[in-house]
Amino acid sequence: MPSVRDLRDRIRSLKNTQQITKAMKQVAAAKIRRAEALQKQSRPYADAIGAMLRDLIANVGSVDHPFMKPGTADVPGGVILMTADKGLAGSFNANLIRMAEIHGRENANLAWYAVGIKARNALRRQRGETLQVWPLAQGDMFANAQALAQRVTDDFTSGKIASLTLVSPKLVNMMTQRPELRQILPIVAAETADAEKTPKGGAVEFEPTPEFVLGRLLPKYLEFTLYSAMLETNASFYAAQLVAMNNATDNAKKLIDQNTIEMNKARQAAITKEILEIVGGAEALAG
Amino acid sequence: MANAIPFQLITPLSVKFDGEAELVIAVGTEGEVGILPSHAPYLTALRPGVLRANVRDGSADATRRLELACSEGFMQALPDKVTILADAALERDEIDIAQARADLAAAQEEQKAAGGDLYAQRRALVKIDYANARLSVAGVS
Repeated sequence: MPSVRDLRDRIRSLKNTQQITKAMKQVAAAKIRRAEALQKQSRPYADAIGAMLRDLIANVGSVDHPFMKPGTADVPGGVILMTADKGLAGSFNANLIRMAEIHGRENANLAWYAVGIKARNALRRQRGETLQVWPLAQGDMFANAQALAQRVTDDFTSGKIASLTLVSPKLVNMMTQRPELRQILPIVAAETADAEKTPKGGAVEFEPTPEFVLGRLLPKYLEFTLYSAMLETNASFYAAQLVAMNNATDNAKKLIDQNTIEMNKARQAAITKEILEIVGGAEALAG
Repeated sequence: MANAIPFQLITPLSVKFDGEAELVIAVGTEGEVGILPSHAPYLTALRPGVLRANVRDGSADATRRLELACSEGFMQALPDKVTILADAALERDEIDIAQARADLAAAQEEQKAAGGDLYAQRRALVKIDYANARLSVAGVS
């Protein structure tokens, strides 16, 4: 049975752990508010660019842009794996990495892009090569998204990748983040199917031409899609961390309680033992 | 009092301006475009440049001159509203002059290095235009 001192040390260390997890929980709660605010601020842009894209596609008879056409079959498909830069968020990163792994097993020929340091590390473990990493939460997130968009655009238009798939978390609510796999390039017509509802014809003027504007708009659309996925990943990460740290704090409390009971028992046993010894000694003298 | 239309300037990071404008002048790919209320439906790509607009804030009837350095974007004019999307739009007091100068120098280097690669040339040009726009809005050039 551990001594009173052992137990006291254990409780002290548990209390320290609890303090840390509690602090991390509070930090996550503050950061998630900020992440959500950013997400909210990007929504008007999302609405506006979506509306412009619909207007354009309704006015352009046949869309002739590389982004709308699938690449050749014999080149690898591109996959972006988006995770957080840090851990301590329960199974958040592991779930994303597992989904990417399964996708990798189903499709042999893939080219990977890593967003988030955890993604880079996982891909290094799996494939033994260190890929360039686009950090999720370091520096200017929009600039990072632009740099990534430029890279995949270059690879896509030059025929190095045939398509682009994104593995990223979806923030269902504060408690649930689900990894999601979706195709980004070529841009599928389904996304723009409701374009039919807007009136067609010469109602809108384009300068210089609808095709030219569309050629400019599609890369921006890609940039923004990646940016908003990064925002969502970031918010999901803090949500997952909040839950994980909440659980950790609760667990630490449970352990502290258990150990405190055990310590009290041990102390009581020691006292009883001492009393017995004294009484025994006194009786021996009296007898 | 001149007519005014709802005008929004939106970047991915925030809604930079949301109010009414009497006149919006942006730098399109084909040159500067001025939009007045009741413009025919119109959509254009924008080059990085200086965006000017006569805007009304809130209830005050007084107009204010809005001047921003805009990066690449798009402008959609409808008879009842004008929307501008840009990657970034900076007002005079938000501009870091040293940063803009550094960006300009870096972009000019990039342009020289680009050589015959038209795509890289265009990319560098966009950066040069944006840096120049920032310097011009900041009042130095």
